[in-house]
Amino acid sequence: MSQQPSSLLHQELRKCFRVLEANQNIWKSVLAECTPLMSSLGNLAEQLRALKNVELVNTPLAQFPDLKERLQYKLIQAIDTVLGKLSEKMYALQLVRDSISKQLLAVVQQYEQKADSLDIHSCTTRSAISPSVADMLEWFQDAERYYRVQYIQRKNLLQILKPDELVFMETAPKRWATLDSPRGEENISDVLHQVSFFMSSD
Amino acid sequence: MAPLKDMDLIVLPPESVDCGTQRCRMGPTLMTELGLKLGSPLLILLPEGACICTAWPRSDLAEGYLQFHTTCATSDFNSQRFSQLRLAQLKPLTCSRLKCLRANVLVQSAEYKRTTSSQFVQELAKELLTGLYVHEKHLVNLASSGTQIQFVEVENVNSGSHKAGLVSADTFLDLGSVQTVKQYQRKQKTPVVQLGGAEEVYAPLREMLTLPLHYPESLRRLGLACPRGALLVGPPGVGKTQLVRSVAQEAGASLVTVSGPVVVGSRPGESEENLRRAFAQAQEAARDGPCILFMDEVDALCPRRSGSSSAPENRLVAQLLTLMDGIGSDEGFVIIAATNQPDALDPALRRPGRFDREVVMGVPTLKQRFQILECVSQSVPLSPSVDLMSLAEMTTGYVGADLSALCREAALQAILHTAQGEASEMGSKDGSVDMVHFHRALRLVPPSCLRSGVGVVDFKPVSWEQIGGLEDVKLKLKQSIEWPMKFPEALVRMGVCRPRGVLLYGPPGCAKTTLVKAAASSSHCTFLTVSGAQLYAPYVGDSGRALAQLFRQARACSPSIVFLDEIDSMVGSRGEDSCQGGVQAQVLSMLLNELDGVGFKPIERRGSARTTLQAQREEPQPLGEQQMELQELCNKDVMIVAATNRPDALDSALLRPGRLDHIIYVPPPDTQARLAILQLHTEKMPLNCDVCLKDLATQTQLFSGADLENLCKEAALLALHEEGMSVSCVKQKYFLGVLQRVSPSLSPHQLLQYQQVSSWSQSSS
Repeated sequence: MSQQPSSLLHQELRKCFRVLEANQNIWKSVLAECTPLMSSLGNLAEQLRALKNVELVNTPLAQFPDLKERLQYKLIQAIDTVLGKLSEKMYALQLVRDSISKQLLAVVQQYEQKADSLDIHSCTTRSAISPSVADMLEWFQDAERYYRVQYIQRKNLLQILKPDELVFMETAPKRWATLDSPRGEENISDVLHQVSFFMSSD
Repeated sequence: MAPLKDMDLIVLPPESVDCGTQRCRMGPTLMTELGLKLGSPLLILLPEGACICTAWPRSDLAEGYLQFHTTCATSDFNSQRFSQLRLAQLKPLTCSRLKCLRANVLVQSAEYKRTTSSQFVQELAKELLTGLYVHEKHLVNLASSGTQIQFVEVENVNSGSHKAGLVSADTFLDLGSVQTVKQYQRKQKTPVVQLGGAEEVYAPLREMLTLPLHYPESLRRLGLACPRGALLVGPPGVGKTQLVRSVAQEAGASLVTVSGPVVVGSRPGESEENLRRAFAQAQEAARDGPCILFMDEVDALCPRRSGSSSAPENRLVAQLLTLMDGIGSDEGFVIIAATNQPDALDPALRRPGRFDREVVMGVPTLKQRFQILECVSQSVPLSPSVDLMSLAEMTTGYVGADLSALCREAALQAILHTAQGEASEMGSKDGSVDMVHFHRALRLVPPSCLRSGVGVVDFKPVSWEQIGGLEDVKLKLKQSIEWPMKFPEALVRMGVCRPRGVLLYGPPGCAKTTLVKAAASSSHCTFLTVSGAQLYAPYVGDSGRALAQLFRQARACSPSIVFLDEIDSMVGSRGEDSCQGGVQAQVLSMLLNELDGVGFKPIERRGSARTTLQAQREEPQPLGEQQMELQELCNKDVMIVAATNRPDALDSALLRPGRLDHIIYVPPPDTQARLAILQLHTEKMPLNCDVCLKDLATQTQLFSGADLENLCKEAALLALHEEGMSVSCVKQKYFLGVLQRVSPSLSPHQLLQYQQVSSWSQSSS
């Protein structure tokens, strides 16, 4: 009987890591798509700031009517477009986060249901082909947390952008880049490597 | 395996991978013991706080260690202080997912707080909290997430009887308030430092700060602009700075300080810029909560503008004035400045609209001193022998700083004492502070208002018994000086007040000065004395100023006695041609003014201005308190004691009642007194048995006290001279020998003059 709950839990954990593996790739690809968008956002902000500083009357372009307003309109529209695209990407990231969170919730629930028949000792025993349940739960929790915090930070960065703080918008790509955490990604890859035998021992 | 129940768990610093996860790592056996599952919540209880964590086995499965992150803990929780924990300090919790949660959010910067909508903050906070276990009244540290939200203070959680629970995606977060971390820390600070005897000054300041906060509506209806500035005036050490600090702390206001040296810069214009920056800073702080801009030592910052000599300073003053005018009532910060030289301030500063109120903090009165002593000795273990009341009586002229120094010194004395191993002899047990220590400390800590003053003297205390004879003179002096101190209620009941001044006159050498010394040492008055030489200065007006300063000091340290020896040489009489318009006349007019002038400067005010009548009419107070109050009322004036041997040379204006009321004739000693004096002076002298002091006393007609002292001395010297250095006693013949050589310093003619004056003064008064 004691084999039954743990095997069910193992099943659930396998599912978790499969979800994680799939979503890791999605996450990476979405982030890769975001980088050029962010840099173009910074670029547009810089242009807008330059436009605000320049006196068009003193340039050869003075003869074009309403040039400043038009350019400004164009640039703001471009920024809007970029931001729209970025929010689409954010939605994709949110989906990744949500699916992982849902999976975590499911596995924790599963564990809690079986917890009475699973003592700590059996949860912490490791074997050559499978890590312990505690370890795997911990890894998955960590991974979920990583994606959640990443999502919050990136979303927060986009949300605190303001149209009148162009300098801040200019530095946004840099800030975006500093949010990248190669170590977190590495950890997740490590985890996936560590569970590869466990996954294939279906 | 060792039984876990008795084991102490060793607390290790948490690992970096667990940062922000709330995990508490422990051995698996311990988890089984506590009935914990993976990730089930537990509460770590420490004497000063608690911390909620989730249980998790250590990756190396070792027992006996504990590592935890204080993500969600009470605000004063500090895991660093504990290296060991008992098993009983871990308490497993059963909690469910939360439905509803009420929390306050603490953000980093005030600007973020202003510019961000609360809805946004709420969403962000909820996302950050998701997946964490929270407990009521705990502070959740979210600083590691990299957003502006630093902490979330959980007010209450709605999950049945439990006080803790897990925040999930479905939890509804009810946002209480958004504060900056600084604001929160200000409120959490340790209780206010207690200030004794400052209630009178405290109230107006607090009112100024809190009125606009509590009653904004009614103030607006009345169309009132609240007072925005106050000037604290008082001698150094009375606690002006401390008062402002404690007001700020109590009202939870932020304090922006400006001080002279920080503001003044070397570059032209830099000082003004610094000043503007300070005001801008205060304005910024005033946006979230009350704020005080405190200018300590404002006299250095804003001196009286004069000529063209100090243009930079003038500019600084002008800048300050414009800045102070610039603050409207809507900007909500209060300016408080402190100074001990209000006269040095620019007059433009002291008008309503700039400093609306001037609060005078005087040298503490007896009652205030008692309260201050109570406050400063709160943390000192006092032995029951310490009587703070009598200590307060002894410390005339001590300000708050002096009293706390006194307490510190007494405690130090106690420590020294125990270190020397004398504790058992002195009867003070386990290092408590005794009255003896306070007496010692009193000698080491003089009152600060007398430190740089004129007229402070250090003399050997003289007791009444050391003066032979003169019983009725002693009695009169006691009446005038000691009675008002000792029996204030009797004097008030009889409707008399203490005399303003006493004049002692009599032939030279009749112990006038010694009498005053005895009076000063028998009462705990401040004793100031000045001689003609100290008073006279080559510059016109200096003498008057020195005298004025003497009286100012004396008033600050009242009850006090000012002793003017040889007053005839100091003031003379106005009638004579010699001193017309001279220095003597100036000093005399100064003295007359001080004795019975219209009043004194408002900045010298001390305590509440209550009269004897008011004190009597009020409802009965506890006996000790009333006595203290009455004593204060009776003794708030300076008492002047003058001595002269030429009473006829004094100006008659000085001698009228109300100035020098009591005119006491110190007669040359009669036979009885002479005997007493001789006995006193031969006390330490080995006398031959044939010496008859009574005989000597009858033979020394017209001898003054000083003459008699001289007689004894000469006799002893004569004995040494005649019989060599090994002489054992003084014989009668030496006394008689000396008596033949010396003549009395008094003459019958002189005495007749004194008696004439005496009868004249008695008939006139």
